[in-house]
Amino acid sequence: MFRSIYLVARRDYLGYVTAWGFWLGLLITPVLLGVGMMVPALAASSVPVRYFTVVDAQGDFHAALVQEMADRRERIARNVVDGAGMLLGDDADRGAALERFDAAIEAGESPAAAMEIAAPHLPDLQLPEQDFVLVDPPAQTLDDLRPYLVGERFLETESGPRPLFAALLVSEEGVEYWSENVTVDGIKSLARRAASDMARNEVFGAAGVSIGILDEIEAATPGLVEKRLREEAGSDSEVTLADRAPFIVSIAMSFFLWTLIFSVVNYLLMGTIEERSNKIFDTLLTSVKLPHMLAGKLIAVLAVSLTLMSVWTLGGMGVTALGISAMPGELRELVGAMAAAALDPGILIPALISFLLGYLMYGSIFLALGSLCDTIQEAQTLMTPLLILLMVPLFVAIVAMTDPESPVLSVLSWVPLFTPFLMILRMPTEPPLWEVLAQLGLMVAFTVAILWLAARIYRAGAVHGAGVNDAMGYLKRTVSFGRA
Amino acid sequence: MTEPALVLNGATKRFGAFTAVDQLSFQVPAGSIIGFLGPNGAGKSTSLRMALGIMTPDEGSVSLFGAHPDLSALRRVGFLPEERGLYKKMTARQTVAYFARLKGLSARDANRRADELLESTGLGEFARAKISKLSKGMAQKVQILSTLAHTPDFLILDEPFSGLDPVNQQALEEIIREQHAAGATILFSTHVMEHAERLCQSIVMMARGRKVFDGTLDAAFDALGRRAKIAVEAGYDLPTALATTGFHVERDSHEHEDGADWWLVSLPDGRSAQNALRAAIDAGAPIAGFMQEEARLRDVFVELVEREEARGKLAPQPELETL
Repeated sequence: MFRSIYLVARRDYLGYVTAWGFWLGLLITPVLLGVGMMVPALAASSVPVRYFTVVDAQGDFHAALVQEMADRRERIARNVVDGAGMLLGDDADRGAALERFDAAIEAGESPAAAMEIAAPHLPDLQLPEQDFVLVDPPAQTLDDLRPYLVGERFLETESGPRPLFAALLVSEEGVEYWSENVTVDGIKSLARRAASDMARNEVFGAAGVSIGILDEIEAATPGLVEKRLREEAGSDSEVTLADRAPFIVSIAMSFFLWTLIFSVVNYLLMGTIEERSNKIFDTLLTSVKLPHMLAGKLIAVLAVSLTLMSVWTLGGMGVTALGISAMPGELRELVGAMAAAALDPGILIPALISFLLGYLMYGSIFLALGSLCDTIQEAQTLMTPLLILLMVPLFVAIVAMTDPESPVLSVLSWVPLFTPFLMILRMPTEPPLWEVLAQLGLMVAFTVAILWLAARIYRAGAVHGAGVNDAMGYLKRTVSFGRA
Repeated sequence: MTEPALVLNGATKRFGAFTAVDQLSFQVPAGSIIGFLGPNGAGKSTSLRMALGIMTPDEGSVSLFGAHPDLSALRRVGFLPEERGLYKKMTARQTVAYFARLKGLSARDANRRADELLESTGLGEFARAKISKLSKGMAQKVQILSTLAHTPDFLILDEPFSGLDPVNQQALEEIIREQHAAGATILFSTHVMEHAERLCQSIVMMARGRKVFDGTLDAAFDALGRRAKIAVEAGYDLPTALATTGFHVERDSHEHEDGADWWLVSLPDGRSAQNALRAAIDAGAPIAGFMQEEARLRDVFVELVEREEARGKLAPQPELETL
């Protein structure tokens, strides 16, 4: 028995891993993942400089806007210094750098100069280029500005002719924002803050109160320290990264399992369709029992997924090990907290069980579907509703990011098809043990039932040549029998 | 007495309301070479799949080497299915060795045997070529070698000649003879009766799910009887003219000629075709043609099916559905 299972598994496994597509996927997935993570930063750095203007006869709004833009530059510069301090120094260095920055700004230095003073050991630290540039109005009325806004005329800038992105027209009724682009909010946001500051100044001035009182209020506001109860007496109760790491790790694991399962179960689908269309079942069935054939196929693809997981995990560990000595304290702490959370048996064991059962459940479903189909197109007709259903755990995972104790999550985790992905999301909230065991038991029972049903469908497809229409007919008969 | 390689006893297989195989019984004695004959849709493949344990009979029993057709019995069997296919990405050598290993050979023996077979059949230079790169004929050859790789005691070949060109059909006939000479029992299905005429000692004939004959080739021809064919001018009543001569005459529906009718004259023991012709001439029949019938297996088959139909033992031929 084990020999035939081994031989089927070995053949299928070698068939998969010797295909160039496997190696391409193995190498390209982490690359794509990395690129995906860099996309937001790349998108931010590739945003073009946008020019806008203000037509303000009074000049108050213009002045408030200029001030708001200067404050914004200051905040950006301070964040850069803070971020560099976090990544490249310890807490003391980071604090000292911020103090130097604040003192330089207080002394009237520009944000760029304050950055140099704050971090003299980081000469490459750059203040990002301004994404919005305020220019003098090329015309004073909307009609005259229109050709600039629609791109018929251009502004003369140091970088050459540029289109006018937006114009703010100030009147007694308020401020009008004119632009052909309705999605970019940056200038609108600046304008709102400037208008708000202006109004605040007026109201505070009328009340005889200095605007500086706001800074005093902020300075006097007591800080909020987040704490949680701990079982260990005397331990620090302040919430740290280690407390948040399990939630982050569980979401990452859930996504990882979903992606892994659905990338490898496709192998089963394609492999079975190939065998059916190649008319190979009869030859195999005189040498191997059908359940052994199923077991061999499932084991082969499980081995493929373990290969992928091992290579990626070892690769990730290798890269981390190489880079950990060069990592700054906080980043090292972050990596340590994530690794500790991932290796916590409370998360790791349910994750492994979920992966195994989830794989068996979906693997056998895909295997059964494949045995009914002669072509990929046929398979797609059966797969589409299933794939739509399987998007549900992804949406629920998004809910779990903000509220891991959401009732939606706890209710849907009882649905065996979703349990493999949703149970992991719940583990950091430490659900009652009976609930975890009951969900695991339900998942085991459902997996066994699915395996039994899949074996029957597989037999119908492989031995009797049943097709999609036969399966649909069987389903209809079952439904009408149920109604009768 | 040596145990039969295969015994089917009243094996019946139904698919819903349709009975694909009805009460089929026959034996394949060890060391024999048997043709399993019948037109397409007669139930041959379903019977073979029952014999191999791929399908379970709804009624009756199947015994392979005296046992239930489980994997241990099937290890002694090489099966070539009607619908052939291989893993396209495996090489010829890997394919032959893989199926040999599934039948119990060690990795070393399987590879050695694959090399031997590929070399001996002229496929040695393609041993490391993927199946997808081989011609259809070569791929079929590889499949046949996969069937033989574990040196089976019993070869079951389902329509082995279909899809092969005449040269490869001849080569396959040679392989079957060699395997038989080496001691293997062989059962092969075909709807082309000529292969069975050349290869078999015994035949089993099926039509519409039922067995219509089971015996030696000689017995099959005896069942048809010796006959002569006489053509007379159209409209002449030959049966009445020969009514008192002891010859039984019936219309030959297979021969057609303008201005003449062909008749089949059954020859009783001790009387020849020439005797029949003489009797017709003596009776004054206007003779237009004469031939001594050379019996072919397909004629035997047609005759046997007609007899079974006349006895009401065969279900009527299903009509084609109108689209």
